[in-house]
Amino acid sequence: MKKALLPSERASWTATLLLIVAGVLFIYPFVWMFCSAFKDNKEIFKPLQLLPGAWNLEYYKLLFKGELIPFWRVFANSVLVAFLQALGTVALTSLAGYVFAQHRFRFQGLLFVASLVVIVLPQQALAIPLFSWLNELKMIDSIWGVVLPGVVSGLGILYFTQVFRQIPRELVEASRLAGLSEFRVYWTLLPLCGSALLSFGLIQFILSWHEHLIPLLVLSTQDKQTLPLALASLFGSSLRFPFAVLMAASTITILPTAILFAVMHRRFKSSLSEVLPH
Amino acid sequence: MGDWKTYWLRGKGAPYLLLLPFFAFFIFFWVMPLVGGLRLSLHSNTLVEESEYVGLQHYQELREDPKFEKAIRNNIIYTGACIVVILPSSALLAYWLQSAWKRVRPGLTFMLLLPGLTPPAVLALLFLLVFHGKEGVLNQMFVMPFSRDGAINELFHLHFNARPINWLKDPHFIMPALVMQAVWRWTGFVTFFFLAGMEAIPKSLYEAAYLETNDRWKVFKRVTLPLLQPVVLFCAVYLVVDAFAMFSGAYMLLGGSGGTADAGLLMVSYSYQQAFTYGNFGTAAAMSLMVAPALLALLWLAIMGPRWLKGRVG
Repeated sequence: MKKALLPSERASWTATLLLIVAGVLFIYPFVWMFCSAFKDNKEIFKPLQLLPGAWNLEYYKLLFKGELIPFWRVFANSVLVAFLQALGTVALTSLAGYVFAQHRFRFQGLLFVASLVVIVLPQQALAIPLFSWLNELKMIDSIWGVVLPGVVSGLGILYFTQVFRQIPRELVEASRLAGLSEFRVYWTLLPLCGSALLSFGLIQFILSWHEHLIPLLVLSTQDKQTLPLALASLFGSSLRFPFAVLMAASTITILPTAILFAVMHRRFKSSLSEVLPH
Repeated sequence: MGDWKTYWLRGKGAPYLLLLPFFAFFIFFWVMPLVGGLRLSLHSNTLVEESEYVGLQHYQELREDPKFEKAIRNNIIYTGACIVVILPSSALLAYWLQSAWKRVRPGLTFMLLLPGLTPPAVLALLFLLVFHGKEGVLNQMFVMPFSRDGAINELFHLHFNARPINWLKDPHFIMPALVMQAVWRWTGFVTFFFLAGMEAIPKSLYEAAYLETNDRWKVFKRVTLPLLQPVVLFCAVYLVVDAFAMFSGAYMLLGGSGGTADAGLLMVSYSYQQAFTYGNFGTAAAMSLMVAPALLALLWLAIMGPRWLKGRVG
């Protein structure tokens, strides 16, 4: 007799087929976008025509020349903002997460809930007050005005508290008995959560890469803008320009997060499932 | 001196010292804007000149502002629709993915996730160019077959007379278009979260369940979903918050206004409009602060709800 397999081990062809249909519907626009970077304006406005008449690289060249938007400049800004924000968030929230997970102290519950409040009241919901505050601080039109408020992440606190809860207490106690200061204890535990740090860094990078509202309020000079802003302003401009340039820019905009995710996909999923309550 | 150092580095003071960096940022970039916003909302609408204290005037005005009411109503409908569509479809997709052919699983997951990895501004752009419009995919696939000489009519000798929908101009279809975009963006991500949660469920539970039944769907419903409850709750909270912070998509599709008859006016778009189109920063700040209690109540519900349920059942 055949041993009964668990659902994760038996393959169902109907499920696979249905998923392929859903998947194709989900990514058709992306395939279309990739192909449309080679089309002229007449071809582009036929959404059902997928392949371009000719694989014409001139629109990429036009984009890289930087006359319509300073593309590489904007791209570099986006990378810088997202990287700094990811780094800052991981540093601050992992430290706080360690404290919440491995210490008992007065006002612990209150402080924890205070940081959770940031999840339900994110900076986008408070964008106008944030803008006028940054205005008072003279941080308008500086990338720090985007990066610094962005590192206050309630999600990070929740995530790293769960991560540091997984670490055996004996290990923490042993490091304390060895006479390390609390910060050194945290520092020695860090390598144990490498995956978790990278995963959350990736999430924060993606969130920051996508952010539209806050940079729109803060950054006004074109040379300081990030990708969503540049794409939106090109799209909204009354200029007559080949739409293929916009599609080429969009294609490159998607690449970094898509590649990062594809590379880290497995690590990301397992570190996520470790922190989820079960 | 030595005691003092021990207290902060190893003793009772250490937790507070280590929390300091995060909470310094928290106070400086979250609490201060909030306090500033409160002050702003109690003063008249000028940024340049000295503004004067007006008390609760902005709040009063907002209570009588039909546009604000519309924005709230729209946002609630938008949020509800997102939740109702995304959570069940993600559960279904996760269920399918769990039983799909193993070798195509990562590829399929990635296909579903790609919209979630894409900036919403680009999604909106693609939505405009591919889905929307007379020639767009949505019309060609779902509406045109029902047009006068469309395929469905020809096949079944029916007399539907559908016309291509102008998704972003027709006020009845603006909201569905916004919701569709959110669904496109988040379904894959939520599915991924569900899958990660499912990985955390002990195999032994499944083994036990399969001793009793061979019905995969039943096991999913009775074992997987109940154990997934915290993950579902987390995703639901996140989706609600995201829906109330939704800006990019609406801004790209409707150009900073609310669309025809304000059918697509959402909270953040309206406060953006108040602040940057009309220069009413006080009103805009008051608006943000009026939403705050609702979102805080959501957090309270998310924390207390499961406890309450547990108390009832267990």
